[in-house]
Amino acid sequence: MSTDDTPIPVVAIRGVARHYVRAADDVQALRPISLDILPGRFVAFMGPSGSGKSTLLNIISGIDRPDEGALLVAGEMLNDLDEDELAEWRARHVGLVFQFFNLIPVLSARDNVALPLLLTKLDRAERTRRAETALRVVGLDHRLDHYPGTLSGGEQQRVAIARAIVTDPDLIVADEPTGDLDARNAEDILSLLRQLKNDFGKTIVMVTHDPRALRFVDDVYHLDKGILLEGEDAERAGAAIRMAAGGHVGGGGHP
Amino acid sequence: MKYLGLVRANLGRNKLRTLLTGGAITLAVALVCLLLTMPQGMNALLDDIASNTRISVHNKAGIVYTMPASFTRRVRQVDGVAAAMGQVWFGGAYEDDGVVTFPNFAVEAEHVGAVYPDYPIAPEHLADFQRYRDGALVGGQLMERYGWKVGQRVTLRSTVWPVDLDFRIVGTMNDDQAPFFWFNREYLDQALKAQGGNGLDIVGMIWVRAADPSQVNAIMREVDEISRNSEAETAAETEKSFFSNFFGSLQGLVTIILVVTSLVVLCIVVIAANTASMAVRERAGEIAILKAIGFGRRSIFGMLLAEVVVLATLAGAVGVGLAVGATGLLQMFAGWSPALGPLGNFIITGPVIVQGLFLSLFVGMIAGIVPSYGAARKPVVEALREVF
Repeated sequence: MSTDDTPIPVVAIRGVARHYVRAADDVQALRPISLDILPGRFVAFMGPSGSGKSTLLNIISGIDRPDEGALLVAGEMLNDLDEDELAEWRARHVGLVFQFFNLIPVLSARDNVALPLLLTKLDRAERTRRAETALRVVGLDHRLDHYPGTLSGGEQQRVAIARAIVTDPDLIVADEPTGDLDARNAEDILSLLRQLKNDFGKTIVMVTHDPRALRFVDDVYHLDKGILLEGEDAERAGAAIRMAAGGHVGGGGHP
Repeated sequence: MKYLGLVRANLGRNKLRTLLTGGAITLAVALVCLLLTMPQGMNALLDDIASNTRISVHNKAGIVYTMPASFTRRVRQVDGVAAAMGQVWFGGAYEDDGVVTFPNFAVEAEHVGAVYPDYPIAPEHLADFQRYRDGALVGGQLMERYGWKVGQRVTLRSTVWPVDLDFRIVGTMNDDQAPFFWFNREYLDQALKAQGGNGLDIVGMIWVRAADPSQVNAIMREVDEISRNSEAETAAETEKSFFSNFFGSLQGLVTIILVVTSLVVLCIVVIAANTASMAVRERAGEIAILKAIGFGRRSIFGMLLAEVVVLATLAGAVGVGLAVGATGLLQMFAGWSPALGPLGNFIITGPVIVQGLFLSLFVGMIAGIVPSYGAARKPVVEALREVF
């Protein structure tokens, strides 16, 4: 039962499931899952490899489509959209951050960030202005003309985050954003994502193995073998992660 | 247009590969453009050397067969004929090599001026040609090749007739007309008689000039009609047609070259397609990311295709420029020497430029369409899964 002041979820998942056919095997990557993600929340999906967290992230970001269930993201029912409509929807509503940065090596930081704006009707000057603003937000306004090859891993990931926010999307989706970074840069990136949530009210959904993430996120969901863990199972999974990290992390410790 | 920066950046990604692929397209387009000038060049060449009132009459069996010398007189009596001149192949070799290096004919000197009023022969040279029994009229090109001067004596050893004749060069032509060597028919006739023969009672070719271009067809029909059922039936044709047939083997060569060039173009398409495929394969990760951040299939297809088309069109434009430059050089050389004069007829015209540019566009489209379509149609999730 909801009241009038209950915020509308940015992500509403109802019975979403996904399976793949690989060779002769039918792999159940995601068993029916239901959950809501409210606006302005920083959410992490955690779990071992093959747990289905990346599949879920792909479905939430409109990269993949569920076999069953209903999916409402940023006010759009994604189930009915075809490949091209999904691409258009992603361009408007989702900012994506990947583990390996995936910048275009022949474009400067500014041009990399401006890439998603090519899909808008903005003129070149406005695209440039917005790209520079996004780079300023991630603290890289002194690296506008640098090419990815001349930037450190942390800086490249910051450029990727600037590219993800440049269109002012409803949702930022990050797949292992710290997976290819050293400890210090990983903390910086998590801190930056947290800052985007705090300062701009962004909703961030992240998949990670990194136990440090627990200090920065609002909510953690644990997946295992395609199942969203709940109750005691989720508690145990969380405890195991905290233990693996040597007890240096804890929920609710974020700035 | 807003994707142009991205297209340009991607073309500069592997400069050597872009340069080599572009270079191959440039050379192929330049070659094709040069070859496309050949049919038109040949036509212009024929227009240059052929008159629209001159008719060639030769034995129907072929130009190596002869006709009775008396037939020339009968041709002169046909309505509309302004003049006619019989000529006989002498087959004279200059110097000691025994090989015929230029065409030389015994002609009726008194009819040269009337049959060839369009040839720039000075009246005094023509007069001397008719005056001196051993006089020779020599093309400017030949004069230059051998460094001959008017008044000089040269000896030709016939490979056809049992005589060697000593000639006095009495005149020339100061343009790039065919490298001919004409001498007086009577000179050969008397030389043959002096050797105990019957003299020159045959003619190899009769050149006829019609009084009016509109009478040419009627004259050709009439001439062939006169010779019907004789021992030497004739085949009359216009001068342009005669030279066109004479150069027929060259046109066959042009056809072969065009076929080979088409195959070269096909190879270039395959090479460019391979390059495009490699570029797409190498950038599979980037393409997957572009798709993920919202670039649709049309955008991806358009961007990848544009890269190949831009490269091919730019390279093709350079190729067209190269061909224009090459023909410009040919024209410059043609101005330097009469022997190179015919080269001036090979000109890159507007239609050839358009064809060259369209060919470049075609190469780009054909080469880029398959890899671009393949990359664009792959679903984003599959593309990401393959590379990450």
